[in-house]
Amino acid sequence: MDSIEKEISRGRRTFIKKVLGGTVAGSLLLVIPAGAMDLANIPEQITGMRGKTGPFITEKKFAFIVDITRCIGCGSCCVADKNEYQVPDGMYRTWVERYVIDDEDNVYVDCPNGGLDGYQEPRQDIPHPIRDTFFVPKLCNMCEHPSCVQVCPVGATYQTEDNFVLIDAKRCVACGYCIQACPYGIRYINPETRTADKCSWCYHRVRKGLLPACVDVCPVQARKFGDLNDKDSEVYKILHQPHVVSVLKPGMGNKPSLHYVGLRREVV
Amino acid sequence: MPEYKSKAYSHIFRIALVLIAAGLIGVAVRAMVLPESFGDYGHYRGSAIEDEINRPIRNGTNSSCLVCHPYIREMHLQGVHNTVSCEFCHGPVADHVQDGKVIARLPKKEGNDIKTLCLRCHNQIIRARPKESIKMISMPQHLEEKHVRIDHNCNQCHNVHAPLMWVKEARAIVGAEEDNK
Repeated sequence: MDSIEKEISRGRRTFIKKVLGGTVAGSLLLVIPAGAMDLANIPEQITGMRGKTGPFITEKKFAFIVDITRCIGCGSCCVADKNEYQVPDGMYRTWVERYVIDDEDNVYVDCPNGGLDGYQEPRQDIPHPIRDTFFVPKLCNMCEHPSCVQVCPVGATYQTEDNFVLIDAKRCVACGYCIQACPYGIRYINPETRTADKCSWCYHRVRKGLLPACVDVCPVQARKFGDLNDKDSEVYKILHQPHVVSVLKPGMGNKPSLHYVGLRREVV
Repeated sequence: MPEYKSKAYSHIFRIALVLIAAGLIGVAVRAMVLPESFGDYGHYRGSAIEDEINRPIRNGTNSSCLVCHPYIREMHLQGVHNTVSCEFCHGPVADHVQDGKVIARLPKKEGNDIKTLCLRCHNQIIRARPKESIKMISMPQHLEEKHVRIDHNCNQCHNVHAPLMWVKEARAIVGAEEDNK
């Protein structure tokens, strides 16, 4: 009789122990902070980027090309960008402008909510017949001679040796000099971090072998990103064939690495 | 001739002492104020690059979604919407999966939101779009042309993942010729 009771209580004890252990282990799993996204499920989009260490990208020279003749103004890129960086409302790291040109050669530009909601309505306020319309996506020009870096008094905006212009949010004092210096109006003060912020061509994604978020989601391949050292890449081919004006405000001397295909006089 | 050269150097020593002290204080303050890796590669904090690299990725790619949704995968990749991003309509995968575990459900567009979403790309009236790239329609003419009720939603005829799938199936059943594209 004693032995049976002992057996039962032993069973109960182990049962309670196991349940408690399981609960603790389970809740620990929930509590442990969520780490980086599992890259194993995501195939490498830029080959040869994973497993590379060192502060800079050495073998590749990246260029960004926006093809205006392909852009349909859907705003996928803007949505992806907002999601990737959790950009506060009213601020835009990238946006899509709509250009409308009428018969009298007047140019009308609008960009409701940065193109984040797409373009649902045609413009009603244009008195003359419309001759031409097109969309122009804007993002950081990643200048070879960045004026924003030149003016930063605390070394918070810097240019890496692989030609990315990035922001160190821990150093930035939000003085706003860079915002005035940027000829392209790309920068803004992030009201949440209270530091300057701008498009980084998704440096963190590129270093992990992924395309920038906006390039990845573009349904019509209007945004292209690639390596100029690779002669088979699309960007190399585009930039090494005859083409018209391809950068914004070339007269500023900033030498942007962002190129446009089909760029129009009205935009430059 | 009397010698006018002074033998008293104490004022020079004092100035030198003050300058050296100021220099030392300057160096000490600089060392305290500047972050550790400042100036490693240029006039910036070297470890800022590492910080930027470690920014979390929030948008996976379509493959990160389709690996767990094989049925959608089959439809999506065969349809004409295969270049459309999952996360454009549903939101970033980081809001859905963390560390291989589902943490929340992503929203699904319903009702009029679907029409709004479709017309972001396919609305002919916007005009600013290249003619060759995608098919454009104008509402409600499209509904009239297809002889359906004017309050029909896009997803009643078009599967949002593979827009022509049901249309093609219906044509196969009826044996209808493909009309004008």
